[in-house]
Formats: sequence, C-alpha cells, structure tokens
Amino acid sequence: MQDQSVTIFVARRIVTLDPSLPLATHVAVRDGRVLATGGAEIVAQFRGRLDGRFSRNVIVPGFIEGHGHATDGLMWRSPYVGFFPRTSPDGQQAGGFQSIASVVDYLRSIAAAMPDATAPLVAWGFDPIYFDGPRMTAADLDAISPRRMIVVAHVSGHILNVNSAVLEKAGFSPDSNLDGLVRDGAGRLTGELQGPAVMGRANRATGDGGLLRALDVPGLRDYGRIAQRVGVTTSTDLANAMTPDNVAALQAATEDADFPIRLVPAMRAREYSLTDGLARIAALRPQSTDKLHFGLVKLVVDGSIQGFTARLRWPFYHNGAPNGLWYVAPDELEAIVTAYHNAGHQLHIHTNGDEASELATEMIGRAIAAHPRADHRHTLQHCQMADAAIFRRMKTFGMCVNLFANHIFYWGEQHAALTMGPSRVRHLDACGTALACGVPLAIHSDTPVTPVDPRFTMWCAVNRLSSAGRVLGPAERITAAQALHAVTIGPAYTLKLDHLVGSIEVGKFADFAVLDDDPLTVDPATIKDIPVVATVMGGRVFIGS
Amino acid sequence: MIPLTVIGGFLGAGKTTLVNHLLRGGAKRWGVLVNDFGAINVDAALIAAQDGETIALTNGCVCCSLGDDLGDALAAMGGRGLDHVVVEASGVSDPWKIAQLALIEPGFALEPLVVLADASALLAQVADRWTGDTVLRQMAFAEIIVLNKCDLVGADQLAATRARIAAIRPEAQLMDTARAELAVAAFSFAAPPRPAASRFQAEAIGHGFPTYALPAARAFDRDRLRAVLGDLPRSVLRVKGMCHLGPEASPVLLQYAAERWSFTAAPAGLSPGLVVIGTPDLPGRAVLCEIFSAAVLN
Repeated sequence: MQDQSVTIFVARRIVTLDPSLPLATHVAVRDGRVLATGGAEIVAQFRGRLDGRFSRNVIVPGFIEGHGHATDGLMWRSPYVGFFPRTSPDGQQAGGFQSIASVVDYLRSIAAAMPDATAPLVAWGFDPIYFDGPRMTAADLDAISPRRMIVVAHVSGHILNVNSAVLEKAGFSPDSNLDGLVRDGAGRLTGELQGPAVMGRANRATGDGGLLRALDVPGLRDYGRIAQRVGVTTSTDLANAMTPDNVAALQAATEDADFPIRLVPAMRAREYSLTDGLARIAALRPQSTDKLHFGLVKLVVDGSIQGFTARLRWPFYHNGAPNGLWYVAPDELEAIVTAYHNAGHQLHIHTNGDEASELATEMIGRAIAAHPRADHRHTLQHCQMADAAIFRRMKTFGMCVNLFANHIFYWGEQHAALTMGPSRVRHLDACGTALACGVPLAIHSDTPVTPVDPRFTMWCAVNRLSSAGRVLGPAERITAAQALHAVTIGPAYTLKLDHLVGSIEVGKFADFAVLDDDPLTVDPATIKDIPVVATVMGGRVFIGS
Repeated sequence: MIPLTVIGGFLGAGKTTLVNHLLRGGAKRWGVLVNDFGAINVDAALIAAQDGETIALTNGCVCCSLGDDLGDALAAMGGRGLDHVVVEASGVSDPWKIAQLALIEPGFALEPLVVLADASALLAQVADRWTGDTVLRQMAFAEIIVLNKCDLVGADQLAATRARIAAIRPEAQLMDTARAELAVAAFSFAAPPRPAASRFQAEAIGHGFPTYALPAARAFDRDRLRAVLGDLPRSVLRVKGMCHLGPEASPVLLQYAAERWSFTAAPAGLSPGLVVIGTPDLPGRAVLCEIFSAAVLN
C-alpha cells in the first residue's frame, strides 16, 4: 500500500552535505520536510510515490544567497545596460553591451517606445571599465533625446552618467565647480557624477521613476523568479528598513504558495534609534514563518573599495587616494554592537576594507568580554581584505564571515591596478585563509551589485579568475566541496538556520537544487555552467522558464 | 537670500547641544536640519506642531531631519519665513562636502563653515589610529572652529589643543565655549554693523574676517573669471555677490568657497558688486581689485 503523503525523489546522485550520509540516490519527502535519505531501499521502507523525473540529475541542497538584496527584483523595471549578460525575471538575456554606442542605440530604442515623451529614462548596470576609448558624456545621451531626462547608473553604484536635461534640472551648470562633477579638458561638465552628494541630487531630479523605488510585492516576486532560476531556495534581503510597508510586502509575497524562496531580511539598524531598533527587531522576530525569517540586524561600517570609500589599513589605497570613510564612528559602533549583542540579537556587519573588519572584530570582542554569550554568530559581510590575523581573532570571538567572492572576477583587475595593488589583491576575499583559520564561511553575490548565481560564486572561489583570465591569489583557492558548503550549509549557519536548511537531512525542509551535473566532479572551470534543472522548496517542485 | 551655516565636528563635540541651544534661545527664527532627530530636546511647551520628523516651535524656529538629500530638506524649509538655516552634518561626515552643495541651492547664501571640537578629547582623537584622519578632514575647510567643553580642561591642555588646531587649520578663527553656547554672530561672516571709528575702517566691516567690497560695474568674461577663481590665494575664504557675464552681460550670482564655486541666476533687486572675505593674510583691496580686473571684458 503506497503512502500518498510521501514523495520519493530519485537522482543520479544526491550530495546531501549531511556528514552521516554524504551521498545518496533517494530522498523521501513528507509535509515539506525530508523524511529519509538513502538508496533504493527507502522506497520499500517508506512506501512513497516515486518521482523519477530527476533520475538523470544531481540533487544538492537548495542554494542559499547569504548576502543579496531583493531590490534586484525592482531593477528590471529599468533597462539594464551592463557589459556582462544578465538574466531578467522573465528569463531573457539582457545586457552584453560592449561600447558606448551600443548602449546609446539601445536606450534610443527604449525611449522611442516610451508613451510619455517627458518621463525620465533611467538605466542601470553600466560598466564602462571594460571599454576602450573616451568615457560617456552628456552629449552621447543628449543624442537620444534633448528634452527627456536620462540617467545611466554604473554597476559599481558610485557613478552616474546623466544628460543635459538632468544637469539642468539638478542645477548643475558649467559654472558649478563642485566635488564630484567631472569636467573635460576644456572645463565642460561631462555629465559624469561621482559620489553620493551629487548623485543624490540627480536622483532627486528624476524622482520615483529612477532608482529610489520602494520594495513591493511584484518586485519580491521578480526577485524570487531570478533566484529560483539559479537554484536558490533561501535568500537574505540584507538591508531592509522594516517599515510597516516593507514588512507587509515581505509577508504577502512569502505567504503565496507559488513564491519559490524563503526570505531572510536583515533590519537596517541605523533606520532607528537604539531603543526603537531593539524594540522593532524584538517585535519582528516572533512573526517569523517557515518562509520568512526575521532576526538579523544589519550595520554598515565603511563604504566600498572600488568607490574608494572603504577603510583600509596601511599602506592604504594603492593609487594614493585618501582613505575611505567611516559610516559609523568607532564609539557609536561599540555602543550599537553592545546593545544588540546584549539583547541577544545577531549582527551582520558590512566591512569592506581591512581596517573596518579590524574595528568591527575589536568591538565584538569587547562586547563579548563584557557580556559573554555563546553561539552569537555575529557575521562580517564582504570582509574583503581581512588577513590571517583578523580571521584568527574572528575565530577566537566565535564570529562568521561571508566573503564577496564574485568581486575577484568582476573587480579583481581594478583592485590589482588601482585599489589594492598586485600584492594585496592576492588575499582579496581570502576564502582559503578564512577556512584555514576555522572561521565559518559563506560566499555571496550582493545582488544586484553582481548577479545572484551561487554556481558562479562557487566558481569564483574555486578558480579565482579575474575578468582578464588571470588567477589572483592561487593560494586562496578552495575546493569545490568547500565552495558548495559555502553556498549551502555555510550560509545557513551564518543565518542561524542550519537546523532548517542548507543540507538534505531528516527533519529539515526539503529544499533542493536539481542540477544537470555534479559540481564536485565536473571540471572546476565549468562549475558556473552546470544547468539548473529545477528547485524543490518545501517539497514542491519549481521549474524555471 | 537666506543665510545658511553648516556645522560639523566629530561625535561628542557638542553639535546637538548647540542645536538645542539655538532652538530654545530663539534669538533668530532658526531653521535647523539635524542628523539625529531623536536627540533634539526642547521643552514640550515650546513645541507648536510636530509632523513626522519636523517640529515647529512657538518661537518661530523649525527643526527637521536632514535625511538623504540636502536639497530635499532645504525645500521643506522654504516658505516658513526663517531668518537663518543651520545644517548639522553627521559626526563622521566631511561637512565641507555638504557645505559646497549649498553653493548651488537657489535662495541660500553660504555662511562660515563652523566645526566644533571637544577640548577634552581633541588631542586624543587626532592621535587615534581609527579616528585621526576623520577629525583632521572635518577641520580642513573650517572657517570657525569652536573649541567646546573648555571648562573641562586645564590651561596646559587648552593651550596644547589650540596649538594643534592652529597647525591643522591656520585659516580658521578659534572660539571658545563651555556648553556649545556659541554667539549668534559666529553663524555669519557679516557681524552686526557698527559705526566706523575712522574713515580707514569704513570698508572693513566689523568682525574678525577681513572683508572688502569690490565694484563689479563692468561685465566679466566667463572663462577668464573662472580662471581668476581657480587661481585665488588660499587666504580668500569667500567671494559672493552679483556680477554680469559675457557680452550679453547676463546677471549672475557668484558664490565662491574654498576653491569651489557656482554662478547661478541672480535674484532680482541685487546691485553689482562682490564681497571678498578672507583670513588675516588676505591681500589688500588694491591687489584684489587687480586680480579681478584680469577678468573684465575688454
């Protein structure tokens, strides 16, 4: 007699990440959870309905994006003009623009199809560091439309190109000589705006039609589709203001049975005073559901390396740029860390530069000395330039790390040439050292900064190839098994969800990524190319299209 | 034109105390944009209305949150009949980055950049490996440095702190306070007018920054004026006023501060003329006239 409540998936191989049974061929699922794993014998033991559609595929735990932003789902309401191709929520390939002219031609076709002749046109993902020749100018964009405001946001997040209509609306004239307004040799404004002050003014000029949209349910759905297609079954939304509207959107999206991923939003601590923030996160935590997990608190200590706003230790920026900025003063950081630590919450702290990582580690060390607390799992996010000494202290203090492995490919050459120089770039996102020091490791995309795709993130950590095809820091490469760990049970641990997701074990959610081949046995150079066949989330099959 | 003063300074220097002091004192109808709205502390009896992160006080002052964009926040200040707007930069930001944006805000005239320093902590802060460069950067373009909490330190430390500040930013004027109770005059370059003691002082308006009024009766060549501004000596802190540009003699408002400047459309009713404000090293009137005459259209 078959038990209709039990489904048994059969695969060529199941890589479980369960230390008691690393490999299997069958997994039984009931009520959205793993009931059993093993070989063909579990069919008789658990009498379930066999699902053989993945019998030629390899099942791994559903991927976990430990540092992503659901705003990725909003970006696609604007045209993507990136150098690297990227997949839209609809599964269409976008981008791949290799010249300014091709970007301009594409935007001209978009503008021509816009019903409102005066609505702003805002594009994102522009990546001219890969182009030879002159930089984009306002004149390039004026050729599309003299009247319509046009903004092209760089993928780095630190530069905008705008046309003359935006310059005029923002009040930037040839006679405005301010920091961040780039000029050509003749003293004319080029339309390139650098830094938050002048960029903010341009974004204000274009208004809500631009890059300032608020998270909503359709945006979350689109993010779910993007993430599902690359095998993700759990994703963070690592900087959420947690306004009532934000929370309502998260709840509405995740209550829908068709929503394919679990969401783990982190509350931006600086949206609130200390008292209000502690009250807010305490009120949110009990509202967690199987698909929506509150509890993380996000802090940002410094800026970004490629924006020259990360805080570095000696010898600072390779090109001599002044050191970056603290986004929170050291004393304030200590107060905030201490307050959330003492109240029993978990901090996810953005630190890009090594000085920022050092400072955050120091402050967590002080909080622990004053108020010992087992299993806090405070996590440094990005932590791109930490060295062995910092990782050893992190290990001592019980901290975790989530490294930005995708940076090695996307900005590694920039870091070698400008920010870090040829020596320090070797330990950019030092996965090997983190593991050698015993720090629990996850790796991430920071989508939409780089596209969410854990296969690609694994590939970066395993191969450390730059966009120019050079290996940057071969000693920091990790194995495919370590990389798979760092996109499954590794991030689950950093999110305090390792008892629920991240491996295929009895009792845990039946969350799987179904792949066409085994990332542990393919040529490591091809890990990023393994097709994702489907995902299973809570026992339900999702096939991307 | 509403005068606009940006105040900066590291965490704990007394910015919020100063802001609370201004709002409670009500010596002017101050509009204050603050970084940490939650730290604003005025008597409930003084509050006329509160709407989100905006408080209107019974004495005519208004306080609201600076938010992400200075322009947005200044727009919210418009139409309230304010005498003077004060912008509080965050304790880790570079106040000069905010101040220079005010150069292109229509309707506002940039007054001295005021940076507070904690007399009891400054020497330690500038020597600190984590905060030193941030504190130095905040003072780099200050025109008035307020040495606050002077009552908490002895004479030796006070002298050492003054010497350190003078080495960091010799162009700035130093003022002492105990509880950030800064005189209203410090928020403007132009102190209240007083009768000239002699005809030689007639042009030097009565406050510590040498100030000259230069004529601008003839139109300037735009490119040459830019070149002149680009080459001004560091002792020139501000140039502001109305002048005419180009053969068409279009009237513009010029605002210059620390090697940054803007020309914007001149409000109606201004007569031509430039005011130059500087440090004690500012060249004399004749030299300044000659510098600017290089830009006059032939």
